[in-house]
Amino acid sequence: VTQQLQDKSAGVPLSDFVLQLEDYAPTIPDSVTAYYLNRAGFETSDPRIIRLISLAAQKFVSDIANDALQHCKMKASAGQSSKKQGKDKKFTLTMEDLTPAMAEYGINVKKPCYFI
Amino acid sequence: MSLDSDGNAVSRRKALKVAVAALCSEVGFGMAEDAVLETLTEALGSYIVEIGRSTRGITELACRTDSMVSDVVLGLVEMGLDIRGIPTHARRANKTVFIPPATSSQTQH
Repeated sequence: VTQQLQDKSAGVPLSDFVLQLEDYAPTIPDSVTAYYLNRAGFETSDPRIIRLISLAAQKFVSDIANDALQHCKMKASAGQSSKKQGKDKKFTLTMEDLTPAMAEYGINVKKPCYFI
Repeated sequence: MSLDSDGNAVSRRKALKVAVAALCSEVGFGMAEDAVLETLTEALGSYIVEIGRSTRGITELACRTDSMVSDVVLGLVEMGLDIRGIPTHARRANKTVFIPPATSSQTQH
């Protein structure tokens, strides 16, 4: 039954999933998303649509962060031997990892080499 | 975009930054540079505004004023997001939630 539901939801875009968003709290609060949507002229009385947009935006950032993590892990595995595992537990997100990850999404980040 | 003269805008931006930090932490990072968080916050805010703008445009193109889920979906697809991954992302095990900023009540002078 769940497999049928999954296949169905692939064809019917998200309308079933949105019904489940009544009790869902996304990481980005509704008021924050609603504020940014209002700046674009978007107003809705249905909180589920706001939560859907919150989730889409979260997924966007999450995907970029995931790609940056892959870059970071590749660098760590290339630079260090496989024995040293202790230091690799905590990855630090740096601009060097973020820039290529964002470039794949069409966002080109260039830090100025000087500050006025 | 980043008009920090408005107190509301500042608090929303801070909440967005906390959300970005929470998402990076969920992905597996222990620490992040501040420049990185600022970049992602700016990207996230712009992304939400763009979704709102395109959804509104699609709704009005269909001669409606109330947006529907299909308008949002069309807007997301036009922006290149894979919508099939949204339910998967929603059901992730380690999701974090935090309390949103309370709207400040305007005091009468």
